Amino acid sequence: MAAVLVCSAYGQSLNHKIDLPKDSPVGLLSADFGNSNVIARGGANQIEVNASLSLRNSSQKRIRSMTLMVYAQDGAAGGKGSVAVPTLDAAPGESFSIGIKTLLVRPLASGTPAVEVKLDGVLFDDLSFYGPDTLHSQRTMTVWELEAQRDRKYFKNLLETAGAEALGKEMLASLARQGDRSRMGVQMVRGRATNVEADKEFQFASLDIPESPIELSNGLARVAGNEARAPRFDIRNRSNRTVQHLEIGWLVKGQQGREFQAASVPGDVKLAPNQSGQMTQDATLRFDRPLAIESMSAFVASVEFADGTQWVPSRSAINQPRLRQVVEPSPEEQHLSQIYNKKGLQALIAELKKF
Amino acid sequence: MTRHTSETDLALYASGDLPVWRKLATAWHVRGCEECHGLVETFRLDREGLHQAADRLPEDILPVDWDQLSAEMTANIHVGLAAGECVTPRAPKVEALAWWRPAAAAAGILVLVAGAWWLNVPRSDTETIAHALQSLFTGQRSTIAQTAPQEDRGPMVGASSAGIELVENGGRMKIEQSGLQPVMYSVSTQGSASTRWVDEDTAQVTITAVYVQ
Repeated sequence: MAAVLVCSAYGQSLNHKIDLPKDSPVGLLSADFGNSNVIARGGANQIEVNASLSLRNSSQKRIRSMTLMVYAQDGAAGGKGSVAVPTLDAAPGESFSIGIKTLLVRPLASGTPAVEVKLDGVLFDDLSFYGPDTLHSQRTMTVWELEAQRDRKYFKNLLETAGAEALGKEMLASLARQGDRSRMGVQMVRGRATNVEADKEFQFASLDIPESPIELSNGLARVAGNEARAPRFDIRNRSNRTVQHLEIGWLVKGQQGREFQAASVPGDVKLAPNQSGQMTQDATLRFDRPLAIESMSAFVASVEFADGTQWVPSRSAINQPRLRQVVEPSPEEQHLSQIYNKKGLQALIAELKKF
Repeated sequence: MTRHTSETDLALYASGDLPVWRKLATAWHVRGCEECHGLVETFRLDREGLHQAADRLPEDILPVDWDQLSAEMTANIHVGLAAGECVTPRAPKVEALAWWRPAAAAAGILVLVAGAWWLNVPRSDTETIAHALQSLFTGQRSTIAQTAPQEDRGPMVGASSAGIELVENGGRMKIEQSGLQPVMYSVSTQGSASTRWVDEDTAQVTITAVYVQ
C-alpha cells in the first residue's frame, strides 16, 4: 500500500504551449517551464506551473502593459487565469521577462496534461491596444494607464513645485497608507447564497465625487451573517456623453471600526446624457472571518463612455480624507513607492523623469 | 479469641491428607485446642470403624480396591468438568498487556489512512469536511455556504492573503506567488478575483486574476 501511495504522489512532466500571434508586437525569446510538474491526487491532476518567459518588444511603440491568459488544455470546462504587468514600460526592441506561478486542479484526463499561455492584450503608451481581448484586458489596462499618467503627473508636479523633500514625504505617507490598509479575505459566488440566516437590507453611503460622470444614490444590499448579496444602485449619467460601462468600489466597515474595499461592482449599462437607471448584480460576497457589518459605502471607480474613452477619479478626488484611507493606490503609485523604498529618492526622481 | 480450624481441614488432618504447611499449622492448633483435638479423635475413630466394617464384609463380595476406586472417581470428576465447560459460556480470557497488539495495528492503519488522505484529497475538501464535523459535534448551526461542497453552489472566486482561487465545474485554479505577500487583493461581482504583487528588487507590479467562464 505504501508503494501505491508513493506512486500516486510521483510527479509527471507538463506539456505547455505558448501562443503568440504572428503579428504580435512581442516576440518570445525563451521559455523556462523547468519547475513545473503534475501530481495525480485522487481523481484530479494538480498542475503546478512555474514558468519564466523572456519576451521582446518587437513593435515600434513603447509597451506600457501586457496581459497573458493561462488555462489548462484538458477539454473540460473550467476557469481561466491571467498574469498582467501594468508597470512594464518596455521600449521598442527592449527585452523583459514575465513569471507565471499558477496551481491548477483539473479532473483526470487521458494523455499528458498541458497548459497553454496566450497573449490576451498589449497596451501601448498612446493607449492603442493589440490582442484578442478575451478577458476584457483593454478596459482594465486602459484604466491602469490612465491612473499611471495621473499619478506620475501628480508626483512630477509635486517635485517641481515643492521639491524633493515634499516628494519624499508624500512617498512615505503613501507607504504608510499601504501598510495600514485593512484587508479581509473574501469570496464571491454568483447568484443567491445558501446562507439560511434571515437577511436584512443595508443601505450604502454614497461617496460622491463631484467630477464623476455618474451619480450614485440609493445603494442597497442584503446582509446575513458574514455575507452581503445582491447590491443595487440608482445611477444617473450627469455627463454629456453616453456611458456604456462603469465600475463601483464597494467599501465595508466592521464594528471594530476598520474599513476596507471589499469588492468591485462592474456593470455594462447604456446611459445617455442625463439618463437615470439602476445597476444590480446577482452576486454574494462572503467574508472569510465573522464580520459584524456596521456600514457600507460605495464610490464610482471608473466609467467607460460609448466611444471607448474612460474616466478615472482625479488625484484631488482620491486625496479626500474619506477616500484616501480606503481607495487602493494605483499599480503605478505602488511601483514608484517601491522604487523610493528600495533605492531612495534620487532613483525615484530619475524614474519620474523617464516619461 | 481462638479461631478454630474448619471441620474439613480437621477431617483431612485426621486422614493424613493435608498439605505439609497446613498439616503443621493444624497440628499446632489441635495440640492446644481441646475442642478440635476431640473432633480429630472422633474422625480417627470413625475412620478405624469403617476399615473394620470393611474387613467384616462377606467373602462372596470381592475385596474393594480403594486406590482403583479413587482413580476412577477422579477420572469421572474430570470428565464432568470438561463436559460442563462445553456447555457453559466461556468468560473472555484476559491476558496481561494484550491491549498493545490492537493498539499497534490501529496506529499503523491510522498512519496509512492519513498518508493516503494527505496525498489524494485536496486541502479544501478536508477543510469542508472539518467544518461539517465541527458543526456536528459542537451543535452550532453553520451556514450551508460553509459546509456544502463548493461545487454544489456554482462557480466561486476567492481572494485572500494566500492568493486567489477559482472553483468551477469540479476544477480549481489557484494563483499564488511563493514567498511574496500580495499588496492588494479583490473580487469582482462579475466573477473574477485579482491580486497584486510587487517585486521588491525590480519594483515591477504583477497582477494575477482568475475568471469564471
